[in-house]
Amino acid sequence: MSASLQRGLNAFKEQIDAPVAAFFSSCVRCGLCANACLFYTETGDPKYTPIYKLEPLRRVWRQEYTFWGRLAKAVGLSKAVTDEELGDWEELVYDSCTMCGRCSMVCPVGNDITYMIRKMREGMAVAGHAPVGLVGATKRAVEIGSPMGVKLPALQAQIRHTETEFGLEIPVDKEGADYLLLLSSMEIMNFPEFIGAVAKIFKHAGVSWTISSEAFEATNSGIQIGVSEIAAELVQRIVTAAEKLKVKSVISPECGHAYMAIRWEGPNLIGRPYSFKVVHILELLDQLRAEGRLQTTGKESQRLTYHDPCQVSRRGGVVDQPRNLLNMVAEDFVEMPETGTMNWCCGAGGGVSSNERADEIRLKAFNRKKQQLDAIHPQAIVSACSNCRIHLEDGLEEYGMDMPVISLTETIAEHLAEDKS
Amino acid sequence: MSKDETLGEALRRQGITRRGFLKFCAATASMMALPPSMVPAIAAALEKAMRPSVIWLSFQECTGCTESLTRSHSPTVEGLIFDTISLDYHHTLQAASGSAAEAAREAAMEENYGKYILVVDGSIPTANPGYSTIAGISNKSMLLDTAKGAAAIVAVGTCAAYGGIPKAKPNPTGAVAVSDLIKDKPIINVSGCPPIPVVITGVLAHFLTFGTIPELDALGRPKAYYGQSIHDRCYRRPFYDKGLFANTFDDEGAKKGWCLYKLGCKGPTTYNACATTKWNEGTSFPIEAGHPCLGCSEPDFWDGGGFYKALSMPTEDITRAAVYAVGAGAAAGVALGAMNRAKKARAVKTHEKVTINDLEKGADDD
Repeated sequence: MSASLQRGLNAFKEQIDAPVAAFFSSCVRCGLCANACLFYTETGDPKYTPIYKLEPLRRVWRQEYTFWGRLAKAVGLSKAVTDEELGDWEELVYDSCTMCGRCSMVCPVGNDITYMIRKMREGMAVAGHAPVGLVGATKRAVEIGSPMGVKLPALQAQIRHTETEFGLEIPVDKEGADYLLLLSSMEIMNFPEFIGAVAKIFKHAGVSWTISSEAFEATNSGIQIGVSEIAAELVQRIVTAAEKLKVKSVISPECGHAYMAIRWEGPNLIGRPYSFKVVHILELLDQLRAEGRLQTTGKESQRLTYHDPCQVSRRGGVVDQPRNLLNMVAEDFVEMPETGTMNWCCGAGGGVSSNERADEIRLKAFNRKKQQLDAIHPQAIVSACSNCRIHLEDGLEEYGMDMPVISLTETIAEHLAEDKS
Repeated sequence: MSKDETLGEALRRQGITRRGFLKFCAATASMMALPPSMVPAIAAALEKAMRPSVIWLSFQECTGCTESLTRSHSPTVEGLIFDTISLDYHHTLQAASGSAAEAAREAAMEENYGKYILVVDGSIPTANPGYSTIAGISNKSMLLDTAKGAAAIVAVGTCAAYGGIPKAKPNPTGAVAVSDLIKDKPIINVSGCPPIPVVITGVLAHFLTFGTIPELDALGRPKAYYGQSIHDRCYRRPFYDKGLFANTFDDEGAKKGWCLYKLGCKGPTTYNACATTKWNEGTSFPIEAGHPCLGCSEPDFWDGGGFYKALSMPTEDITRAAVYAVGAGAAAGVALGAMNRAKKARAVKTHEKVTINDLEKGADDD
């Protein structure tokens, strides 16, 4: 078996459901989604209009599922979607869409464009039109267990290192713990301080937790490339481990799409409810704050702003929690002009970061974030997604802006009151 | 009252101040959607206008229109303007009767031939001339005769404008509207059952000022008064937009003043000035009193289904053809839906498990 146009078009037919049909028939072609998309606003090229990125899928819907479309196809008035067209659309569906969900927010007829992009990628992937970089990441995720190729020994080394540095025990495979912490490869490789920060906070608040040696990877390349079977397999690994360790909750770390995968898509992918709950690390920290289990001391004097990771804020609903937490430790917290559910993406979500070909357009689109930052001149940016952090740093460097990007969890850990615990 | 007196003189004689007169002119200009710069022109024209001769014919009607125009007003400026036209014939109001009255009509027609305004209220029976006669003259022949020398015809009330209640099914008298019989004169339909008093004075003022008839809609009504639907200007519209409806006349929604759409309000399909001009010197209008609009200024309003049936419900028994059409449409929809479902099921069945080896073209089968 290999990818083919036929499999791709079959997947389109399979993916088109009542919402998709309703969305396509409701579209009034107003083009409002264009101005909601950073790839359009920063290039001015109309091909980046979100709804246009779905054109092949729309044509398949029309030709296969509508009366007039069938008729037009039967008498040869409309041509079938070709492999070349899918090839042309690959850049639009993967490189210039981070599935940030902003277009779905502005659509006046309520079309969830992001939902359709996610579905369209199912067809693009089996048609052989997924970006090489993303295919590679997905292969590594399935074969090695991490899109970045991180293996268990690497995690174990980071755990040992953290234990020595912080003088704390990091529980691994502890059966019956309340929480199972997942990590993203990026946290393990680029931001290992996150593990120490969580350990410190959980000790302070008395949270019973563990890491699984069998399923520590939170990310899910399957939902990014658009292959539900692979996505389901990756979710299932976590579910199996969590149920084996009999944890009450699974914590999604500072990663955007991981939260989308495990919290929102997961049960649908594996076709059953979980026996545990899923929380984002910020949700848990805010809960600890509300319960009075999180005591901090001192405040950051520098001017801070918060970059909302799209999958955590807009599509995940975790908007107030980071603000509550930041207000505990920030003296001068300023919001960017558009934040929360209307935040602008860093430009690298939805698999764009695994796709080197998209580097140029990603950095161009970053100009949108630059304008947001220029409006408020923060001294540092706080965020809660490692992928956002890496690419904010990359973008800031590209535009010659000197500004550290820091983790919210780590910032809280730095301000923990020592006397408690 | 002398016939040579101008309107301005007549008004001053009746104690109307210049200020009151200009206020009336400004109100008239705004009601007719004219620019404010037209106010002096209206004032000047009205000031100098000779009291026009008006002949008022009443046919199959209930006198409600006359009541509305004369009795519902305490004497306002509009009322006095109305008084100062030379109403040469109005068989409800005039003292003369029989052949004396008819002689007055004939005299007015002769004296002002080609210049008088003919006002008609009531519909005209065509089935049998004997159904409605005045001094032995059938309504139809009186109308045709009087219309000949008229400058313009104002059809007051829904009966004259569209046939109204006499024309309601089964229409035993064969009632028709003025416009069904007269084709060669400008006709202004001032519909309503009854129409709003200021609408007729406004139309007369327009005629006196410009010597022309106002801009009319497709149903021959002055756009200035009938340009917008009751619904669009209704103060209860925000409730409609929010989906808040009264379901009965005594439920919570009715008490809170919510939209009366579900109680059969015809506001969305009715064009009139009730919601803005209101009745009884701007006091209120039916919806404000808690009753749905009946749609009285629209043609065939009496046959538009039940007054208390929501507009979205079919007005009469849908015919057999419609039943078949609906059935065929539904069947086609079901068939197309079934075909789509089958197609999708086939697509799902054709689906082969996607593995990482399936993501590249021409990759070897492992």
